[in-house]
Amino acid sequence: MTTSEDRDLVARAVSGEDTAAFGELVRRHQSHVRNFLRKLAGDYTLADDLAQDCFMHAWDKLQTYSGRGSFIGWLLKVAYTTFLQSKRKSKRYAEILESAGHVADQESRSTVQPNEEVTDLDKYLAVLTEEERAIMVMSYACGLSHREIGDATDMPVGTVKSVIFRGKEKIRNSFEIKDHQHG
Amino acid sequence: MAEKIKDAEDRLLELLFESPPLADDGFSATIVRKINRQMWFRRLTLPLAAVIGGVIAFKPLVALVSTLANFSSLIPADLVSDAASSIPQFQTIALGAILLVVGLVSMRMLED
Repeated sequence: MTTSEDRDLVARAVSGEDTAAFGELVRRHQSHVRNFLRKLAGDYTLADDLAQDCFMHAWDKLQTYSGRGSFIGWLLKVAYTTFLQSKRKSKRYAEILESAGHVADQESRSTVQPNEEVTDLDKYLAVLTEEERAIMVMSYACGLSHREIGDATDMPVGTVKSVIFRGKEKIRNSFEIKDHQHG
Repeated sequence: MAEKIKDAEDRLLELLFESPPLADDGFSATIVRKINRQMWFRRLTLPLAAVIGGVIAFKPLVALVSTLANFSSLIPADLVSDAASSIPQFQTIALGAILLVVGLVSMRMLED
């Protein structure tokens, strides 16, 4: 998965509207994007829908990729924006329902579906805020550098570092809580 | 990742966050199919909208042209000849303006 190959594919996709080249980019990066969104959303079906939206947005905005950073970094920025937009939309929808007198279905808004196994990672991710979760996943699951995460989240590198520090501390504390409970 | 100094905790977190790669299982093919459909739809939308717009605008356009033609007969012939005589390069200016508009429109079409 080299960056130069990605850049060639992006150039082909942008210059000739080559959907096959873009398809190759999707094939190379779909696993990272879907895993990122699954960890962020907690709901696999929703995450895969968001991943589809993300790649459609990426196709529309492909000419804005400058080639400066890694393509996966740029793609995760699109994925994170797609996730936040969907979150905002569903919040607004819930507010409309609430104002119309409907009782929001808490079960349907739960982050983990009942038929899905709750892993240790799910428990640790649950103690993090949405922003911390996104940054920790970008760092430890996707292997992005602090600068790439900063670009993806529009945050200064210093803030990214402190969010990671805070996230690690929260997870560390959760480990301690677990140790006390079982020991 | 050069800026990161990984310690034991970082490595543990990497293991914790690690996920097995997800199989494509037709995911990329679905995206490409959706994009192709979207491109086809976008290409079709503009000419279709132009045709529909043309059909809707045809009658009012004919009425507008005939009204303007009636108005042009009201302009005294002296006024037109006076304008041409008072600006000697009137024909050259008019030709230049037309060429400029045609050039700009052609450039825009080529750009599209």
